[in-house]
Amino acid sequence: MSAFVFGYYAFLILASVILAYVEWRKWFMMVFSLTLISFVLGIVGGTPALRAVATFAIVLAVAAMVSYAFKEFLIQLAKPNLAKELRTAPLTAAFGMFVIFTYAIAGIFAPVIAPHGEAEVIAGAFAAPDANMLLGADQLGRDIFSRIIYGARNSVGLALVATLGAFILGALAGLLAAVKGGWFDTFMGRVADVIMSIPSLIFALLMLSILGTATWVIVFVVAIIYSPRVFRLTRAVAGNIVVMDYIEAAKLRGEGDWYLIRREILPNSMAPLIAEFGLEFCFVFLLIAGLSFLGLGLQPPTADWGSMVRENATLISFGDVTPLIPAAAIALLTVSVNFVVDWMLYRSSGLKEQ
Amino acid sequence: MGDLTRLVLKRLGYGLLTLLVVSILIFFAVELLPGDVAEAVLGQGATPETVQAMRDQLGLDRPAVIRYLEWLGGAVTGDFGVSAVSGDPVMRVIGARFVNTLFLAAYAAVIAVPFAIFLGVLVALLRNSVFDRVANVMTLTSISSPEFFLGYILILYLAVKLPLFPAIASLSGDMSFGDLLHRAFLPALTLVLVVTAHMMRMTRAAIINLLASPYIEMARLKGVKPWRVIVKHALPNAWAPIINVVALNLAYLITGVVLVEVVFVYPGIGQALVDAVAKRDFPVVQAASLIFAATFILLNLAADVGAILTNPRLRHPK
Repeated sequence: MSAFVFGYYAFLILASVILAYVEWRKWFMMVFSLTLISFVLGIVGGTPALRAVATFAIVLAVAAMVSYAFKEFLIQLAKPNLAKELRTAPLTAAFGMFVIFTYAIAGIFAPVIAPHGEAEVIAGAFAAPDANMLLGADQLGRDIFSRIIYGARNSVGLALVATLGAFILGALAGLLAAVKGGWFDTFMGRVADVIMSIPSLIFALLMLSILGTATWVIVFVVAIIYSPRVFRLTRAVAGNIVVMDYIEAAKLRGEGDWYLIRREILPNSMAPLIAEFGLEFCFVFLLIAGLSFLGLGLQPPTADWGSMVRENATLISFGDVTPLIPAAAIALLTVSVNFVVDWMLYRSSGLKEQ
Repeated sequence: MGDLTRLVLKRLGYGLLTLLVVSILIFFAVELLPGDVAEAVLGQGATPETVQAMRDQLGLDRPAVIRYLEWLGGAVTGDFGVSAVSGDPVMRVIGARFVNTLFLAAYAAVIAVPFAIFLGVLVALLRNSVFDRVANVMTLTSISSPEFFLGYILILYLAVKLPLFPAIASLSGDMSFGDLLHRAFLPALTLVLVVTAHMMRMTRAAIINLLASPYIEMARLKGVKPWRVIVKHALPNAWAPIINVVALNLAYLITGVVLVEVVFVYPGIGQALVDAVAKRDFPVVQAASLIFAATFILLNLAADVGAILTNPRLRHPK
């Protein structure tokens, strides 16, 4: 019995005794069940299994602590009103905000943070990691770590611009349809139906194979593909607002459509639209990652997470995890945005599930 | 029963119309190419003679509308013309592959559907417990991961570190069914992970929505046993949302299959589509896109019709 196993069980048992003594029943049940499960796991999987559990628990604990600290930090910075809202945020939402903040820093200051340029060849193909290159070199001898940092700028930036495009298109069409009504409304609804009836990845592949993969083409195609979702939501939200008395009053005053949209409808439909922006960003980001994985995203030598996975995939068959890091970066950001959106939806709807 | 048939027929007609519009979109999108298909396929180095020869072969000199009608007529009978790169009939390129893709999707669905519905109902019944929270975070993570991420993780752990399953899912005709299942296990598992997460969340939402309705409360208050509340009162009304969830997620499978096939080099139609896009083989791209879109529309249609059949309220729109 190694010192690690001894320490592992000693810690768990001590923790459960303390938790039981201070009567934190829920936590006690969790820690003590983990102890019991560990007995079985230790017999079946041996020390490595216990080590994996310990690593996982430590990562989880560190993430929780960082999120808690970041939440308190935001509360200190925010104005009293916002701070009150932030206090109600669950740890997952705080974690999400922390990750988004980190990505934003990495993206904005990429040239300062990255030790090498994104297209700079500095070593042999697939060179092993050393003090100069944290994660080793890719198939052309470029520093993988630097390319991941630059990827935060390129991949996330592209997805943001495309989401913004989808939003402007969809929201504008939705608001206009709600205000104008009649044949315009019906027509736009049918157009949205048709676009949504083609699987998004297939549609994107078709259009990009025809129009090429210039960056503005990607933005445009992705924006068109995802605008119907925004259109439907905006149309539904605005549809409930157009029937209000204050809209009638504004119409009687002789205000035009544009004034109605800008001053009356938009301010009242902001909350669901912001949450939708987060969700939409996740979809767009995953679609663009998929496209660039298939070689139809940002073109080389621009660093891009999706294509980095594809280029270095051969390393996986040698048991190397490096190619998975950009993919994990994609997943982490999407999860984080989802966490924050979940909290925002929960807050804005005021829904308390029974 | 008369107006029920009419309602379903109306929905079917609407689906058919959508499919027609989509086919127009797919066909005429290619007309947006600068120049035409022959120039795009052959590239800049081609001589005028070879370009003209290909134009003749693909019949590009005739008006687009006539070519569209011919293409559509052929597509209905399973003839998508010839590949612009190899000159083989498109059906020979993608026919067998389509069957492979259906096999993969069916394989994933057979595992995922019962599993996801069971877990979804369980999570809905145990809502707000620790189990529910953990399931929520896990499904969210699974949804948020790109398919290729999950695929490569499975390759790393189940094919490289523990060589249980092959990392490359190449199939051949003379394999036994068991071999086939073994070969296609990892791609199927990747799809299962993604689809289960989606399906669980949707099932959970549907069931919770249902359990909040007054008649369930009523049943509970008059002292009906909990399992009886579920089986007798909740389940009959839960079928509609569950059928809907299943059909929508099968439609989702269709898109997910493209990336998964590329990761595992699985000989399916998604892989064929990606290859054709790289080679700019437009007849194959069009055919594969149409097949994907048709399957997608069909499954969405099935979701709608299923909902109409299981929910009498939808039969009498206000």
